Amino acid sequence: MTAAGGALIAIESVAKRYVTSSGPVDALDNVSLSVAEGEFCTLIGPSGCGKSTLLGMLGGLVSPDRGRLLVAGGPVTGPDPRRVATVFQDAGLFPWRTALENVEFGLELQGVPAERRRRRAGELLGPLGLGGFAERYPRELSGGMKQRVAIGRALAIDAKILLMDEPFGALDEQTRVLMGEWLLDIWRRTRKTVIFVTHSLHEALFLSTRVAVMTARPGRIKSVLELTMEYPRSMESPEMVALRAKLWSEMREESLRAMQ
Amino acid sequence: MKVALLRLGLLAALLAVWELAGRAANPLLAVPPSAVVPALRDLLLLRSYPRLPASLWLTVREIGVAYALAVAAGLGCGFALGMNRLLGRAWGPMIAALYAVPAVVWYPSLMLFFGLDAASKIAFGFLLGFFPITLAVLAGVRQVNPHLVLVARAYGAGVVVVFFRVMLPSMLFTLVGGLRTGLALSVIGVVVGEILGSKDGMGALINHAYGLLRTGDYVALVLVTLLLVVGSDVLASGLERRARRWSE
Repeated sequence: MTAAGGALIAIESVAKRYVTSSGPVDALDNVSLSVAEGEFCTLIGPSGCGKSTLLGMLGGLVSPDRGRLLVAGGPVTGPDPRRVATVFQDAGLFPWRTALENVEFGLELQGVPAERRRRRAGELLGPLGLGGFAERYPRELSGGMKQRVAIGRALAIDAKILLMDEPFGALDEQTRVLMGEWLLDIWRRTRKTVIFVTHSLHEALFLSTRVAVMTARPGRIKSVLELTMEYPRSMESPEMVALRAKLWSEMREESLRAMQ
Repeated sequence: MKVALLRLGLLAALLAVWELAGRAANPLLAVPPSAVVPALRDLLLLRSYPRLPASLWLTVREIGVAYALAVAAGLGCGFALGMNRLLGRAWGPMIAALYAVPAVVWYPSLMLFFGLDAASKIAFGFLLGFFPITLAVLAGVRQVNPHLVLVARAYGAGVVVVFFRVMLPSMLFTLVGGLRTGLALSVIGVVVGEILGSKDGMGALINHAYGLLRTGDYVALVLVTLLLVVGSDVLASGLERRARRWSE
């Protein structure tokens, strides 16, 4: 079906340079990665390593300077909400829309009739734990709830691929852990292909089928870890503790470089 | 209820002061409310100024044209400067500075240029209404959260959808506030223009009564004009409230 051996997503030698007022910055340099359908692939790396840029490219919001990106065999030329849905770190809810109307947004843009999209969005709110909050406005919701609405908005359009850019980055630790468990549940039920950006080792190890560690700027793929443990995972198992140490030593090296 | 009582109380007190002061003063210079009532009756029965309806209608039309032009130009300029960062940086501050100039200084040259008829009043009403609308659009565009625009684009929104689904709702409040201020200033521009020099319109009638020291008629005409202004503002504030409810 696709050139790259059945990969749903193929990133081929992409590079990106930003021109800022203090000179050019190489955000990404020669990044290649392919992701198969149904994977939960996490990108982890120090701040400013271009993780978000890479995600932006997959979402069609940023164009690469070099290299190319293929989704389902075709090049990414712009946002394609029929195949790719994005969740951002900042929930980015529209403050003049209720939770339900925010979830409907993507369907509305796709021209789904009002009644059908309302029904679809309504069905999503329950599993999102927002059953009683359909008519609430974003300012009446907590940070975790807002992020769940944003995830609902992404799930509503039923794209195969879910891009998540540090979706729980702004939440407190406890909420973050719970949201991770909840997301895992959603992913296992919907079988979406997820590309997940995070700073958190815990999230990476708890959720992913694969973790790609990125280097400090300019971002490259430093190493890729395959995680084969069953879900739900115990963070205390010897295997997990060893993986955590390994991942941390790689991360630590890059984080130190990023700080210099 | 209390608010209404307090308002009525203030009105009654003002009327009482006016009545006392008016009786004490030279009747050529000031009139008490008791003298205004018959003047107002004569005015409304078209005895003192038979051309009142025509004049009022002229003024309303001038305001309508001036405001429509101010809205069109204000929205156009505001969005052009707001969407184009370079133009906004270059010209935005100049527009804000021009807004600070007391606009009445332009009026003599407008009159020389457009003559004594409606055109100069429309030009002045336009000039006054244009600036607050333009500046409100500029401020509103800056209020739009770029992240929301990005989110909308990720979900497939093009330029038009971003404009109507993200930009307009984000800035609605500021925009409607500017449109309301613009209307008030367009009304002021037209009426002041008529008072400063014209052949017809409410301002011309006011000028006529005032010039002939027909003080009672003058006050009656002012009251009718006041009604026009208050009416337009009530209309505008109603729209503003509706917009506020919608945007929340």
